[in-house]
Parts: sequence; structure tokens; C-alpha cells
Amino acid sequence: MIPLVGLLAGIVIGIVLEPSIPQVLQPYLPIAIVAAMDALFGAFRAYLEGTFTDRVFVVSFISNVLIAASIVYVGDQIGVGSQLATGVVVVLGIRIFTNAAAIRRALFHA
Amino acid sequence: MDLLNQIIRQPVDPDYALAATAGSEPSRGRWKLGVLAMIIGALFAVAALQTTRAAPALQSERSELITRIQAAEREQDQLRSRVTSLTEEIATLRAAALGDDGAARSVESQIGLLDPVVGNAAVTGAGVLIVVDDSPSAAADARDRVLDIDLQVVVNGLWEAGAEAIAINGHRLSNLTAIRSAGDAITVDYRSLTRPYRVEAIGDVRTLQSRFVETSAGAWWNDLAQNRRMRYEISDVKQLDLAADPGIVLRHAGRAAS
Repeated sequence: MIPLVGLLAGIVIGIVLEPSIPQVLQPYLPIAIVAAMDALFGAFRAYLEGTFTDRVFVVSFISNVLIAASIVYVGDQIGVGSQLATGVVVVLGIRIFTNAAAIRRALFHA
Repeated sequence: MDLLNQIIRQPVDPDYALAATAGSEPSRGRWKLGVLAMIIGALFAVAALQTTRAAPALQSERSELITRIQAAEREQDQLRSRVTSLTEEIATLRAAALGDDGAARSVESQIGLLDPVVGNAAVTGAGVLIVVDDSPSAAADARDRVLDIDLQVVVNGLWEAGAEAIAINGHRLSNLTAIRSAGDAITVDYRSLTRPYRVEAIGDVRTLQSRFVETSAGAWWNDLAQNRRMRYEISDVKQLDLAADPGIVLRHAGRAAS
């Protein structure tokens, strides 16, 4: 319940306050969001399996976001930024899909 | 494929299972989760806002540029028509200022004599037409193309042969007209030409062509036509209409000594 309320509150805060992201960080925002989604789905699946722990979630979320963003940053510096971003999105996308499928099975038994 | 297989087989952080088997303490700090969820929500909102914000900005930038181009074109048209009307005004004012005595009439006749020569008045008459063009093999060899200097040679040869008025592709030449290359095109008065190049010259039909052929320009172009296979046709024309050079402006005006 608390996470859901927090999520909604975050969306409202984001829309109302409209914090401006520094120009330097803007290219990494979408990648960070994909990483965050991956962490969210993984956490929800772990929750359904009864193995969820706050600490692991916080650590995995922060490290996911930072690693994904820094991979793309390093790629940008050496000129393969868009390719590495594609790689990150593909890998995280596969994970999101697999987790979503597992969640669906656990929730609806289908 | 091993990598993809592994991603599919183990989509959840293995730490969750490890922590569960280690029997970690039941979740206490629920607020951490709430804060993180808030951050994620804010991230979503900001990214979505930025994407939707950027799209109309790009669109408006584009349409802004288009309107600016159109405004500049309209302004150019207005300025051009203003030049025409001002030129006419200058002519009327000059006629009025000169009055109607003998000295004025001699000045006017001098103006009438000089205007066609400097290119300030449209002229018609008999003359020659020289058509030049790149050789068919110009695509393969850049040396087979007509260059700005080739056109300059033609024009100078025509002046030398006694031409009184010259135009290239309809652009009237004056003493101040530049014939230059700009990129791939040759420009006359900074307006680019399209091939083939038609050089029209008004002059004494009986001598103009034969005298042109005898100048160094004639030799130059004979050489180009024979060795580079460029198109080079010269013919007499009974009637040529050459417009005035719009680039000529009044640079100096003074009160006539009376």
C-alpha cells in the first residue's frame, strides 16, 4: 500500500513541481526509467514469491539505475552511446517481460 | 545465446532469494520503500512531461523558420518593387532638374547615349548569340566543364570585338558585373546560371562575329571545342532584347552647375 501511495505521490509531485533535469543528465533519464521499471517488476515478483526484502530492493534499484546510466554515459564518451543504450534496453526489456509473465501467472494462475 | 538464456532464466535479482534464505529481519523501514516509489513516480512524470513538451517545441521551431523565410521573401519582393519605383522617380527628377535649356538637352542626350552602353537601359538590336555548354564527358572529367574563366573570356572577347550590350542567360552585364564560380554553379551578379550558357551580344552584325573569332577569346574557345569537345555555337541573330541590369544603382548625385 505504501509503495503505491508513494508512486502516485511521486507522479503528482513531478507534474506539479516540474523539477528541471540538468541538460547533462537528460539523455540518461529514459534509460534510468527503464532500469527503475526493471527493478520494480523484479521486486513485485519477489514479493509474490515471498522473498521480498526492502534492503535488496533499494540497493538493486539504485545500482540498476546508476549502472544503466553510466553504461550509456561511457558509451557516449567513446561514441557508441546509442548502441549501448539499445543493449541496455534489450536486456532490461527481456527481464521486464519475463518478470511480467511470471507475475501474471502468479496473480491469475494463467 | 547463453547470455540471453541466463537473462530469461534468472530475471529476478538473486539477492532476494539469498536474503530470504538468510532469514533477514522482517521489513521495518517501509518508509524507504515509499520514498523510492515516490522518486520513481517523479522520474516517470518528469520524463513524460519533457517528451510531450519537446514535441511541440520542435514543431513550432520549424514553422517559425518557415514563416521567417516567407517574410524575408515578401520583404525582398517589396524592396525590389521599391527599387523599380525609385529608379523611375530618379529619372523623372533628373528630367525635371535639368530643365529645358540647351545645356540640359546636351546632358540628356549624353545620358541617352551612355545609358545603353553601361547597361542601365533595356536595348534591342541585332547581334550574335554564342551558346556554350559542358562537353558530354563532363561528368567523368571536371576539366571538360565550362568554368567561370571561360565565360569571362567570351565576354571580354565580345567587348573587344565591339559588342555594345551583353547578357548571359538573360542577365545583363555591366562594367561591375562579376562572373564567378560558386560551388558547382557559375554566377553572374551573384545569381547562379543553369546550363547551357547563352551569351547574347548586340553590336554591328557585319563585323561582330568575324572580329570575335579573331580575338584571343575565339582561339580559346576553338581550342576548348576541339580538344575538350565542349559545345560552342556562334550565330547571327536579327533581333535581341536585353533588359537593363538591375544591379546598377545611383552612387553619386550632385546639383548641376548652372
